[in-house]
Amino acid sequence: MGMPISHIMTSGMSGIRAAGDLVARMQFAKNMRIDEAKKFVADKLNVAPIDLSDEFAMREIREDLGIGVITSVAEAPKGIAAKMNIEKLLDIEINSCERFRNQI
Amino acid sequence: MATEYSIRMGDGKRVYHDKKQIMDDLEAGIADAADLGEISGLSSDETERIAEIIMLEGRMVGVEEGKEVPVTHDISTLRIDGDQGNSGVGIPSSRMIGCMMHERAFGADTMELGHIDYSYKPVKPVIAQECQAMEVCQQNMIIPLLYGAMPNMGLYYTPDGPFENPGDLMKAFKIAEAQESIEKSADHLTRDMIWIMQHLMRSASDGVNFDTTGAAGDGDMYSTLHAVEALRKEFPNMYIEVGMAGECVLGMHGGLEYDGTTLAGLWPHQQAPLVSKAGANLFGPVVNTNTSKSFSWNLGRAVTFIKAAVEASDIPCHVDMGMGVGGIPMFETPPIDAVSRASKAMVEVAGVDGI
Amino acid sequence: MILLAITNKNIVGRKMSKEELAKELSDAIISCKKDNVIAAVEKARDAGMEPTEIIEKGLAAGMNEVGVLFERGKLFLPHVMMAADAMTQGVALLEKDMEPGESAKKPAVIVNGTVEGDVHDIGKSIVSTMLQSAGFEVHDIGRDMPTKAFIDKIKEVNANVVGLSALMTTTMQGQKEVIEALKEEGLRDEIKVMLGGAPVTQAWADKIGADLYAENATEAVRGVKEILNV
Repeated sequence: MGMPISHIMTSGMSGIRAAGDLVARMQFAKNMRIDEAKKFVADKLNVAPIDLSDEFAMREIREDLGIGVITSVAEAPKGIAAKMNIEKLLDIEINSCERFRNQI
Repeated sequence: MATEYSIRMGDGKRVYHDKKQIMDDLEAGIADAADLGEISGLSSDETERIAEIIMLEGRMVGVEEGKEVPVTHDISTLRIDGDQGNSGVGIPSSRMIGCMMHERAFGADTMELGHIDYSYKPVKPVIAQECQAMEVCQQNMIIPLLYGAMPNMGLYYTPDGPFENPGDLMKAFKIAEAQESIEKSADHLTRDMIWIMQHLMRSASDGVNFDTTGAAGDGDMYSTLHAVEALRKEFPNMYIEVGMAGECVLGMHGGLEYDGTTLAGLWPHQQAPLVSKAGANLFGPVVNTNTSKSFSWNLGRAVTFIKAAVEASDIPCHVDMGMGVGGIPMFETPPIDAVSRASKAMVEVAGVDGI
Repeated sequence: MILLAITNKNIVGRKMSKEELAKELSDAIISCKKDNVIAAVEKARDAGMEPTEIIEKGLAAGMNEVGVLFERGKLFLPHVMMAADAMTQGVALLEKDMEPGESAKKPAVIVNGTVEGDVHDIGKSIVSTMLQSAGFEVHDIGRDMPTKAFIDKIKEVNANVVGLSALMTTTMQGQKEVIEALKEEGLRDEIKVMLGGAPVTQAWADKIGADLYAENATEAVRGVKEILNV
């Protein structure tokens, strides 16, 4: 367990603590290299790329946009609902959201 | 007497080296990679930078602010609930709990779901359970969640599978028969991986991770690239990650090609363009650790190979940085000082897009 | 892929030296082509080279180079086996010129396998193949093999070396169990023990009293030759 946590602490973007999930999504969804993905997400959030790993900067933004926060916030979108908001924010289609919509 | 720094051997043992020894080992490791891969070595500035990282005070180090990269996760939740020699810590828990722990407790940027055996072949008989697990996880997860496993083509050879073991055939000088067995196994594996991922994509997976591609040699990679190609055609928005097993594709068959390129003997910078051509979004290059050499030698060698792959690739490269790869010592609980230094060097010197 | 073409062109006007003939033999092996090897052997024999020189300085030297090229990703397993097959044919040509029994002599007998509980096969098979191609008599007993199977085979073939592979941290213990069984059977002093597998290290080999640890197949061949002094 120490190994992945060490990588996250050393080099990682902290996932939904900050904006690592959003940058990773753009790498997967559009084959973006790291700088391009960071710039794309930063522009969408109207922040600087350095803010994408900043828990303080990202906490309020995530809560306001309803794209998922790491702690328990009542009435805040979670799971599939948060991902549907991420779809809109990043202008991408997420397979799990699409499959969920098709079941309704 | 020169200042000595605490570093590790490739097996994790602590040793003390002065700067000259560190630089000598770094240069030897860099030269080995450059020689084998026929690639450029690192510049003196880059070599000096890795030495500085190795010699930094403090048990743990970190990348400069603003240089952080996404950390993707393989081996599924096995590192939590696994207890069969797969680096797992044996905590009884469901896979959904494991996935959510990675997202919410550890701060992972992506995650994957996988089967306890972590090979594609045994997933086929339990596909309904895997689909159910994926759907439940996707309802609760926010970070990208892939399905991951190893192509592990060895499972298609006797006594585990239907095709005669090419190793046995080769030893009996039945070379053509061995090659034919590899080709048949590769076709079967491709078919299985496509079928499994068709089901998991219908059950809401974000995509697939082919982990340790090439572990059974060039046939294993051939099979994976063809599966990637077919899946990309069927699912244009699928997230596809191809992670390798080693720095050089083993030539078990020797004659298999993809897009006119012989797969056997390819190094990371030659693997990357083919993985992209097949349709993957993300490439996971690997460099194995030599346990008899120092951390400096291994890190210099690994950064050299990976930097060349990053430069040759037109898709993001998330370097494999687990136990015994990427300069990290081959030890079940790799020392954190070595892990964090290797991680920092890969980001700041090799320029990887993620880990 | 490098498949060196052998040059049959004689240097006009003078007899080829032994070094040149040995180089031609070595290149023939590296070409992995049986016909090239047979032609080179016949030529060297006709030029008066001793059979042992042809084998050691020419053919075996070529096989060593094949091992290096395999390690460097320039030659692949089928080529290694083709070269080994060609070498066997070349040696067979020399048999009638050699002392009785000398031609069939193998430098050592090796039993190789993966220990019980571990189904990994490929790395171990490559090691077996490389040892075989280096001229050793290799008995690959497979994977997931109980300790008794190793002991029985060692006794049956009177092995000089046993190779124990393990690819998982949980199955490494099986290597220790075989070594302990060798002691109980009174065989430990008669046989060299070699370890391999991804999680195995020199420190583990030292701890459980093995004679040799090899990182890869090429090192296994080199190491076995060193400990047996062959």
